[in-house]
Amino acid sequence: MPTWMVLAKGPVFLFVLTLALLGLLRLALLTTWDIAAAIRRAGFRQIPYRQVALQTISWLVPFGRLHRNRAGYSLASFGLHLSLLAVSFFLRNHLDILRANTGLTWMPFPKPALDALALAGILAATTMLFHRLYAAGSRRLSTPADYLLLLLILGLFVSGYLAGRAWNPIPYDGLMLFHTLGGMALVALVPFTKIAHCVLFPLIRLGTEAAWHLTPQGGSRVVQSLHGAQGRKL
Amino acid sequence: MTTPSDTTTNTSLQPYPFHIEPSAVPDFDRRAEKFLAAFAAILDHSNYRFLVELYARVTARCGRCAASCQVYQASSDPRDVPCYRTGLLLDVYRQHLSDSGRWFNRLVSEDSLGSDKIDEMAELFYRCTACRRCSLDCPLGIDHGLIARLGRYVLSEAGIAPKGLVVSVREQLEGPTGNTSAIPLPALLDNLEFLQDEISETKAALVKFPVDQAGAEYIFFPAVSDYLMEADTLMGNAAVLHAAGISWTIGSQYFDGINYGLFYNDWVLERIIQKLVGEAHRLQARKILVGECGHAARSARQFVPAFANGQGLPVVSILELTWQALREGKLRLKKDAVTERVTYHDPCNIARSGWIVDQPRRLLCSFVGDFVEMQPHGRENYCCGGGGGLVSLDETYDFRMRVSGKLKAEQIQASGAQIVATPCANCKKQLRELVAYYKLPVQVVGVHDLVLRAIEL
Ligand code: SF4
Ligand code: SF4
Repeated sequence: MPTWMVLAKGPVFLFVLTLALLGLLRLALLTTWDIAAAIRRAGFRQIPYRQVALQTISWLVPFGRLHRNRAGYSLASFGLHLSLLAVSFFLRNHLDILRANTGLTWMPFPKPALDALALAGILAATTMLFHRLYAAGSRRLSTPADYLLLLLILGLFVSGYLAGRAWNPIPYDGLMLFHTLGGMALVALVPFTKIAHCVLFPLIRLGTEAAWHLTPQGGSRVVQSLHGAQGRKL
Repeated sequence: MTTPSDTTTNTSLQPYPFHIEPSAVPDFDRRAEKFLAAFAAILDHSNYRFLVELYARVTARCGRCAASCQVYQASSDPRDVPCYRTGLLLDVYRQHLSDSGRWFNRLVSEDSLGSDKIDEMAELFYRCTACRRCSLDCPLGIDHGLIARLGRYVLSEAGIAPKGLVVSVREQLEGPTGNTSAIPLPALLDNLEFLQDEISETKAALVKFPVDQAGAEYIFFPAVSDYLMEADTLMGNAAVLHAAGISWTIGSQYFDGINYGLFYNDWVLERIIQKLVGEAHRLQARKILVGECGHAARSARQFVPAFANGQGLPVVSILELTWQALREGKLRLKKDAVTERVTYHDPCNIARSGWIVDQPRRLLCSFVGDFVEMQPHGRENYCCGGGGGLVSLDETYDFRMRVSGKLKAEQIQASGAQIVATPCANCKKQLRELVAYYKLPVQVVGVHDLVLRAIEL
């Protein structure tokens, strides 16, 4: 068995996957706990849950919003999310690996559809890279980690796509080793990078709302801890 | 022509686009240390820590929010991208106050926070008007208005806060007059008498401005500056309350709706709310009525329930009350009383961050013949450019005219309106300065100024 397959179907991948899932679970639980604690501490505890949920959902399915602002980038970002999810979770080869590791599997998407999505993913990631490099506001914001993540995802799409082509000019096993290691790195990074928004997204707007619910006497306690009992002048 | 940063007061003590009181920061060179101490204390005693942690973890730094910020749109300065500014505070948290950052600093680097970072934050947090428009367009829902406010809060606890806000708050909370405009009670009473006479002359009706009427349904708190500058707004308010037969009163011990705490400090915000509630209870009023003022209405509505120790009262805006009175048939407003073309500017605090969008429009449309909307409007409106307390800082004039208010001036011009109505003391001041600066043939008034023209008593 080639090295990449040993890695993919063996305990290393299972370890990485378990670590990522536990990391995400920890983040989701801690954040939920923090939000609940913030609401408990607040002087006024009514949260407009329905409104928060509607806003959150409207960004989960953001049709009608994307074109209004930085349309090219927004569509690319949405496309990248969509293709990444579809290809990661519905490619037959990926599902085979999952079954080998966990016994779990489900219906794969048809190969031609996933090929098209992979191409869309490549286009989207490239657009986003160029946007980061050349749009003034975005360049200033971007950190090395932002570029590295995009390059990693782009590399995974390209290597995965090439691996499935008869005309692939790169030695197959080498390409797949890169794809497997890169894929495992991405899975491992999920809880430690901004990709953690995959589980935290539903909590962000709720968290914002909770933080606006200030704690009574919070300001006085701050003054006291900084200046002691005598307080400070205005 | 000067640039916004030319307005900086360039002495070693005041490297900011706003004045600060030198006595507030006695050891100015240690401001970074003080900032960290203040930030740590605030995170320990508030509800912000988890949010800062959450934002620091998920922010995508995509730059999408830049396109919805009127400041960045006008300045094209990458430092005005909302996420860049927010990132400054999040970085301080990551590097100095989060568990991982503290370990990293201990083990790997000995990075200390530089004063230059503090100065950059002080400048940028006061270039944001805290209008929260950008949060509409962030896919993740990052609220830069909240972070700008938190940044200002930390700065203020480190001694760095605009003198224009601090001096007013000091007078309001500890000064002899107890209000931000330093109006002595006898002057207020004279003024009310004058307003009463004025209405009886123009409307031939006896409309009272009741003071210290115990047990009234509403206790009224306008932006106190209205008593000096907005006679028509106040007369419009009183005319409506009179016509609708509503019992109301002004409190002689406290009569200021302004709450600059909303712009920069939780401690101040809470103390002002307690004064408001205290006066309402002293006069046994059943509800708090806030005049035409965006931030006053929002701060009362949002924070009376939070800070009133279970003794909160319902908070109502004069706009919703007037609209309700009209709907119930208690007001007679002469149709087509206003023939000029009128547009409406939404104060961010009560539209995007509040509950007042349709009421004033319906009200205006009932007596304005030619009403037009600015684009965009409502919850997506552009800030007047003076929000977040900037309008009270004269030294930011150049910035407010050429940068933060530029899009609003263009919107007003494009609407072709002759009158801009807006129910907010701050917005009115900023818009009046804008129309003068851009030489627009437009009059800026309060909504109740126009109601006063239309009302039949
Ligand atoms: S809150 Fe308003 S001024 Fe501040 S960054 Fe957002 S859009 Fe710009
Ligand atoms: S605040 Fe939101 S929209 Fe703006 S750059 Fe950050 S993630 Fe993108």
